[in-house]
Amino acid sequence: MFINYEHENHVYNVTIERRDNHYFITYDNSEYKVEAEETRPGQLKIKIGDRLIKSVITEGEKEKFVFVDGQVFRVKPVELTGIKTGKKKEEGDLSSPISGKVVSIKVKNGDLVKKGDVLMVIEAMKMEYLIRAPYNGKVININFKVNDQVEIGQSTIELDKEV
Amino acid sequence: MKDRKESMRFLKKENQIGVSDLFKKVLVANRGEIAVRIIKTCQEMGIKTVAIYSKVDKDAIHVHLADETVNLGDPTPIESYLNIPKIIKIAQDTGSEAIHPGYGFLAENPDFAQSCSDVDIKFIGPESEVIGLMGDKIAAKKTMEKAGVPVIPGYHGLKQDNATLVKEGNKIGFPLLVKATAGGGGKGMRIVYNEDILEQSIESAKRESKSAFGDDSVFLEKYLDKPRHIEFQILADEHGNTIHLFERECSVQRRHQKIIEETPSPVMTPELREKMGRAAVTTAEAVGYTNAGTVEFMVDGDLNFYFMEMNTRLQVEHPITEATTGIDLAKWQLRIASGNKLTLKQKDIIQRGHSIECRIYAEDPSNGFLPSTGILEKVEPPKGPNIRDDSGIFTGMEVTPYYDPLLAKLVVYAENREECLNKMKWALSRYVVLGVTTNIAFLKEVLEHEEFRKGNITTHFIDDYFKDWTVTKDGLPIDAIIALAVYDTMHTKREEIVRYKEADPHSPWKHVGRWRVSGRGI
Repeated sequence: MFINYEHENHVYNVTIERRDNHYFITYDNSEYKVEAEETRPGQLKIKIGDRLIKSVITEGEKEKFVFVDGQVFRVKPVELTGIKTGKKKEEGDLSSPISGKVVSIKVKNGDLVKKGDVLMVIEAMKMEYLIRAPYNGKVININFKVNDQVEIGQSTIELDKEV
Repeated sequence: MKDRKESMRFLKKENQIGVSDLFKKVLVANRGEIAVRIIKTCQEMGIKTVAIYSKVDKDAIHVHLADETVNLGDPTPIESYLNIPKIIKIAQDTGSEAIHPGYGFLAENPDFAQSCSDVDIKFIGPESEVIGLMGDKIAAKKTMEKAGVPVIPGYHGLKQDNATLVKEGNKIGFPLLVKATAGGGGKGMRIVYNEDILEQSIESAKRESKSAFGDDSVFLEKYLDKPRHIEFQILADEHGNTIHLFERECSVQRRHQKIIEETPSPVMTPELREKMGRAAVTTAEAVGYTNAGTVEFMVDGDLNFYFMEMNTRLQVEHPITEATTGIDLAKWQLRIASGNKLTLKQKDIIQRGHSIECRIYAEDPSNGFLPSTGILEKVEPPKGPNIRDDSGIFTGMEVTPYYDPLLAKLVVYAENREECLNKMKWALSRYVVLGVTTNIAFLKEVLEHEEFRKGNITTHFIDDYFKDWTVTKDGLPIDAIIALAVYDTMHTKREEIVRYKEADPHSPWKHVGRWRVSGRGI
């Protein structure tokens, strides 16, 4: 599987595979073969050659915290592939699928929109993501302004579904 | 009420011989690590405890530990931990015989001490008048000058004509400091190195002060070169016995907030310790001080020392004194307040080894030391020989913006300073606090600074060497990346792995390593 982590505005692209009780991690054109054990929940003991990495990882609401060698890093997993790991999206969900910046808002309060209309454009990692109307309806609330930072899962726009 | 008065009289009579029963129940008027520390000591001594807490602290450790707990409601300090009538009423309702104020909040509030004694509740600390006197910095200095304790030579008079100021300035000697009475932030302040420029410095300080504060009065004070902040711990009982428990070096401060304290001080000599210790005892005796207290001195580059102020309470950094003397200060506070005699004699107090305390704050050193709030996702303090963690935090706790950002105090003890520094570095590197940003990385860098290791610390240390310090931004180290990837693999369900594998093999994102966003360099 490959995973992307965001840390202080940098994205780290990592590939990891599990084979014969070993993990093979590829990052930045180097491969690392490690043995790993979760000794206690969130507490990892990783053997890499003759070196030992001890790390404590915990999951916050939106991010992960990694403690390694006396330092703490706050990391956000990012999805660049569009594959969703979490729950299936409900119909009509207008929550942002990514963390990014609002670059434009195509509607205003009270507007009537048709299914498929673009409501908002969010930019992340130099990609634009379009928030489209999942059904016909009326805009009742816009939760962000242009240039606002949006986090994964935050509701972008509220629509009153036309019945 | 009558019964209570009777019993108080009985207590006082017993006091004369210095053997009294301990309190049966004590209310702890504080929160966080210090409330925890005091409650634990009360438990050891068989004293029942009452904890008070504001709404946001309902799950705090001190609340879980205490025998009785009372909710203060509104978390705003003035409505909770600073609310004198509320706290006094709770003490009365719970039948508490005494109140321990901890440090901060009401610990140095003479009105609170008075309110306690007005209703026959023992305030664990000195008398209200003593707190009031020491709280008035100018009156305190005058009292100490009279008692023969050295104070920083200066002129704080009302006569502000140039002739008077120049005359007084020459009397004080050079270098000296001209400071705006209304001053702050270095405005209207001049350091004067010799007589030739004294008058013009006074005039320019006055002009600057006039335009900045609308008031041109100034005061003069001897300027201390390489100033250190060294304080002495005092214990005094209610029978006239006063001892000191040596010094604490507290020069490493950021904006007057201590960060790292140690004892012994790297500059201390047996002769100086003897002299300063005696001055500290004189200070306490001059005002009839009782209970635990701390006398703060400034020490200059030539090891001259001057009385600064007295803190009329248990200090944050008291554990380093406990580590090097083996004496439990909180226990003695309780014994002294209940009327017992101080059985410790000065000659029996021995200082052994070295101890350091690091204050762990929920603040972000690379973001102007702003407080950092949020849920503590994981807390795991280091454990090991001679490591003490005084803390009020736990996994899952929320750090709120209402109170001081101090999370914990890490105290280590070793045979000598070098071993102590190494132990502290070891312990800090293993202190896991995830969820809010802490100053741990900053503390480690201070400990590793060459001048700190040499013991060359002054109150300017942080400004001199760490003014614009930020966390080195080297990005995620490979170890963190490996750990994350392994963790995520272990915690991803099989079908999700399959889906990942099916992902577009031609995606350009598969081939990028670490790259930058919004134009920031790596």
